[in-house]
Amino acid sequence: MSDILIALFHRPNFLTFVIIFLWGFYIMVTRYNLVKKLVGMYLVQTSVIFFLVSISAKKGATVPILLSMTDPVEVAAYSNPLPHVLTLTAIVVGVATLGVALALCSAIYRSYGSLDEEEILKKLE
Amino acid sequence: MTRHLPALLFLVPLLAAVSLPVLCLKHRALSRPIALTAMFMMVGLSLWNLSNVSQYGEVRYAFSGWAPPLGIEWVADGLASIILVTLSLLGLSVMAFAGSMAPKNLEGRIVHFYTLILLLIAALTGIVFAGDLFNLFVFLEVAAISSYALVGMAGGRALMAAFRYLILGTLGASLYLLGVSYFYAATGTLNMADLADKLPHLLTSKVVVGGLLFMFIGLGIKMALVPFHAWLPDAYTHAPDSVSPILAALVTKVALLGWVRIIFWVLGAKAVVQNIPVLVLVDVLGMLAAVIGAVLALAQRDIKRIFAYGGISHIGIILIGISQGNQTGFVGGVFYLINDAVMQASLFFIAGVAAGQYGVRTVDDIGRIAKQTPWLTASLIAVAMGMIGLPPTGGFFGKWYIILGALEAHNYLAVGAVLLSTLLTLAYFVKIFERVFRQASMPSSVERIETPLPIKLSLGATSMAVLILGLWSDPLVSALIRLALPPGF
Repeated sequence: MSDILIALFHRPNFLTFVIIFLWGFYIMVTRYNLVKKLVGMYLVQTSVIFFLVSISAKKGATVPILLSMTDPVEVAAYSNPLPHVLTLTAIVVGVATLGVALALCSAIYRSYGSLDEEEILKKLE
Repeated sequence: MTRHLPALLFLVPLLAAVSLPVLCLKHRALSRPIALTAMFMMVGLSLWNLSNVSQYGEVRYAFSGWAPPLGIEWVADGLASIILVTLSLLGLSVMAFAGSMAPKNLEGRIVHFYTLILLLIAALTGIVFAGDLFNLFVFLEVAAISSYALVGMAGGRALMAAFRYLILGTLGASLYLLGVSYFYAATGTLNMADLADKLPHLLTSKVVVGGLLFMFIGLGIKMALVPFHAWLPDAYTHAPDSVSPILAALVTKVALLGWVRIIFWVLGAKAVVQNIPVLVLVDVLGMLAAVIGAVLALAQRDIKRIFAYGGISHIGIILIGISQGNQTGFVGGVFYLINDAVMQASLFFIAGVAAGQYGVRTVDDIGRIAKQTPWLTASLIAVAMGMIGLPPTGGFFGKWYIILGALEAHNYLAVGAVLLSTLLTLAYFVKIFERVFRQASMPSSVERIETPLPIKLSLGATSMAVLILGLWSDPLVSALIRLALPPGF
């Protein structure tokens, strides 16, 4: 058990990821307000993006732009651009989802006059 | 030109979707011909692509010429091409159906509707072709976002159903993305073919096991596998009548195709993770889904809900087929997937006509319209035969090959599960038909309403397809064996 804890504290980024993910999940499950649910959902999405960024961090590396075409390329000196590109795409996807979700929320508010799930379910019956 | 077919197939619906809101700003009536033209083009291109692939073998399309492990690659192999033909034909019939249905319940939003449907079809094409796990994620999300919007379009009850679908679907997508980043951390690559080379040595690694678990759960939510199916019945029931056929026919099946890709093309059919063979896991999940889905269907009264749960149970039957680890089972599973897509589309056409034209939503009322619409009853009978699996239909041959595959693998439990699910399917259709024929003899209170020709045409086409798939099952299955088998089978 203590080995796991020590290993975990050597990788604070994993710990942070797990905390943000579970926090978001908790909000999604327990809150009745639809916008709060969306906040939880966005935290879950962000935590995954955070994880993807944090595992691709590289100490002492620079942006992957070659300044000279003639020098031999030192791979270790550059950070890998791919995870960052993936992250950007994932952020765009997340924003699009959130946009649709907020549009749905506002439509729900217009037709039910409330954002509280219990109240809406009552009105539905 | 032939070289760029996969990209063209994707671009046709995408460009149509993007240009529709601009072109139809002033003239809404233009949207239908444009959308239908795009779908006709797609059907033509997908048939061309299939003949091309069956003649010259699979096409690997690298975007902007970047070689695969670094660039994004699309794979147009036999399986993808066959599924794509199904997708575009069903897309066309759904579009024809929806065009006559939509003006009723989507007044004024017809252009948005066509845009979203075309976007959904483009995204599904992307999922089918994706040769890269991250690409699969992006298209899954594009498809999902357009389906959330489509479900919510009708307003009212559909809004809450769409919201729930969105919350669960996004959770699934996040878990899938998490799994993808685990795989990336373990191997440094996202390309499926490249992963297939690197993964076999890493299957003991906890990172890969965790990643696989997250990806399976994420895609499981998207395809409404049984413990994660909660979003589906509500979303399909409350979605506009013109939208639910395409969702039911294609969205979950294509997510299932994502599983098939990961299991057979990335892991390899014989992969064993933590002493559990992946195929055995899929088999167990499939049996659970097949039986539980059918039991839940039996408990419903709303027609659309019965069909939605029926779809959930059929996902299980497809999974049983592909997980037998032999050619017969796999081909049976894929054949059943195609059949199920057709059957679900026509079931929701029927439910849509019953609800949209006659306002009939529950089993208790369905008999009222039987006399007015003999053609509706006839097609319901044809599709029900397919769903139950009676001989001349494709549903029978799909289940037949799945059971043969299970017998070949000496997996008698799976045979039992398929048979039990068939019996339960028979039970809920008996429940429907009992009402249809008992009330049909009573004097009816419903006025006869003329149904537009396109609705009749698309319903006729899909119900005929259920029979045609059965009558021509032999050449179709041998084509599947020739083209669609995964490597190493």
